[in-house]
Amino acid sequence: MASTDQRLPLTILCGKGGVGKTTLSLALALRAALRGENALVVTSHPLQELAVSISLAGLKERFPQAIAHLFVLHIDPREILSNTVRQHIPSDFLAEAVVSSRIYQSLIEVAPGLKELAFLGRLWNLAQQRAPETNERKFSLLIWDAPATGHFLQTLQVSKNFETYLSGPFAELGGSLRDFFASPDNFALIPITTLEEMAVEETLDLVRALGNELGIQPRRVICNLASPLLATGDSAAPHGISTLASVAAADISLQFILSRQRVEQSLFERLRSTIRADYHIVTRHAARQTDLDLLLAIAEEMEGLPGN
Amino acid sequence: MRIHIFVGTGGVGKTSVTAASALSAALQGERALVLTIDPARRLRTALGLDAINDASSADAARLQQQVSLDSISSGGTRGELHAVMLDVASSLNRAVRLHASPKQAEEILAHPIYQVLLRSLAGMQELMAVERLDQAIAEGFESVYVDTAPSRHALEFVDKPEFFAQLVSFPIVRLVGKTYRWWEKSGIGRFSRGTFELYTRVEDMLGSHLTRQVLDFFSIFRGIAEGYAHRARHTAELLRDPAITSFTVVTNPLKAVRDADFFLKELERRRFHVSSLVMNRVWPRLENMSRINDSLTTATAAGMDDATREALRGTIAWYDAVSRSHQTVWNHVHSSYSQRIPHLVQVPELPEDIAGLPALQHIAQHMKA
Repeated sequence: MASTDQRLPLTILCGKGGVGKTTLSLALALRAALRGENALVVTSHPLQELAVSISLAGLKERFPQAIAHLFVLHIDPREILSNTVRQHIPSDFLAEAVVSSRIYQSLIEVAPGLKELAFLGRLWNLAQQRAPETNERKFSLLIWDAPATGHFLQTLQVSKNFETYLSGPFAELGGSLRDFFASPDNFALIPITTLEEMAVEETLDLVRALGNELGIQPRRVICNLASPLLATGDSAAPHGISTLASVAAADISLQFILSRQRVEQSLFERLRSTIRADYHIVTRHAARQTDLDLLLAIAEEMEGLPGN
Repeated sequence: MRIHIFVGTGGVGKTSVTAASALSAALQGERALVLTIDPARRLRTALGLDAINDASSADAARLQQQVSLDSISSGGTRGELHAVMLDVASSLNRAVRLHASPKQAEEILAHPIYQVLLRSLAGMQELMAVERLDQAIAEGFESVYVDTAPSRHALEFVDKPEFFAQLVSFPIVRLVGKTYRWWEKSGIGRFSRGTFELYTRVEDMLGSHLTRQVLDFFSIFRGIAEGYAHRARHTAELLRDPAITSFTVVTNPLKAVRDADFFLKELERRRFHVSSLVMNRVWPRLENMSRINDSLTTATAAGMDDATREALRGTIAWYDAVSRSHQTVWNHVHSSYSQRIPHLVQVPELPEDIAGLPALQHIAQHMKA
């Protein structure tokens, strides 16, 4: 396992909607927090925020020591922009007038990529923060629970295509972001996928686009919601399945399990032969008593996963 | 005319459920249209949208396609199913050409901000969906099924048009938009901008180049935007009329509890009528465990080794636990929302991903039942 200082400043969990980005972000952060490391999960969607609060209910009572190390931040780009205005304009009265004016509100909505730029700027800022007393990184694990594929790509592209902002504070920020995302030493990109055709197709497209358009390669791929049979990596399993299939041809529910198994196995092979990265399998868990129990079970399963 | 809007987060099978509902209406004799954002490859094939795969070369006419129902209805329905893939670039180009004078259209299409808008696309899908909905109404469809984008914020589809309508009606945008070019040309702008203190501050913030470009763009785009805003306002009214529009929340067992709560609250807050909740991708229960165990015994007799048998036994037990937990979620959703949402439906997961119209019909049948 990579020690804290070997870890990259930022970990990005990305992928198709519904593959478990938020859940795995929380599980990873919870694991770090239980070890006493500061972990921060950054989200940008209101629904994710809701998911987080439901998932972590009961943490304070059961793990009071972990709660001091676990942070979740919902970044609203509009708020960051308003704060920038307040910093830039010395007069509080004038700053408020600008922020509440309709022309300001309209312009930030239509200015292309502005909100994305503001979001990335805040994220970048968090990745740079160091604790004053030790000068170590303030968050030893900083996870961006990224939006689903399309919007994620658009957001990252903003770091490259900021040429519309030729002047002002956002032009400067754009330059810093471009430098940050140009270096693989700054962040670990981890696509998450389920082993279903649509999710795998989207993952392949995403990784291709990230490589071609931004020169970013994934560090690791997580296959989430897999069957335990895949996780065992048992080479005899395919044979067992075909034996079982031959005797159970008439059993519809068993056919369901077996055909899913075949699909899963072949998609896994397809991924591995196309994207060269480390692979990690996380199995699908039946719902537990509470969401926190579920997170703990997943965190435990991810124990073998290196730092980022 | 009825409008059905499907909302939900990513990965719940929203596009399939939307397409299946439209198919169901067509099979019952309606002239139905399904409006999708970006269907997965196989669903695209099922809807005959392959031909318009290459969005960059696609012209507006080819973005709509009638789906042949011959393979599943053997000519027994007089209904029609049409599918539209929403392509922001070509829809917007079409709107510009339709609503602007040829000279204006040329200016808009070549404007750098327009190009940036098309490239970034963020937030434009929702606007175009409303534009496209208007077009469908004009074309006389009996029912329209709208698959909303899961991107960014699930409800931007309903928020954006109203925002846009407000935007172009703000007096200062109109004023600055109208006078801006004249201002720039005459050179007076440089001096008189001081009177627009707020505007100047905004310019400092965003950079003057960008702000000018945006305003310059709006000064030519304004005519179209106003026409658009007018239609958007009208459409927003249709969306609030329960006799015309109903909303369906699509979710899956992993997300059902929080999705149901979130969407119901947000939609009701916006005064939209929620008629259905579909819990998609529910794993079917194992009907006969003892028979499955018999199968395992038979397989052992046929030469399966112990380790493999135990691995399979473990997998079956795991499957059973997951499918049970799906039913627990369903019971919870049912008891919490049956009073507030008229139709609660669960749709079982198919063993493989959606393939062709039969798979959609399969979903449709479960939704009717």
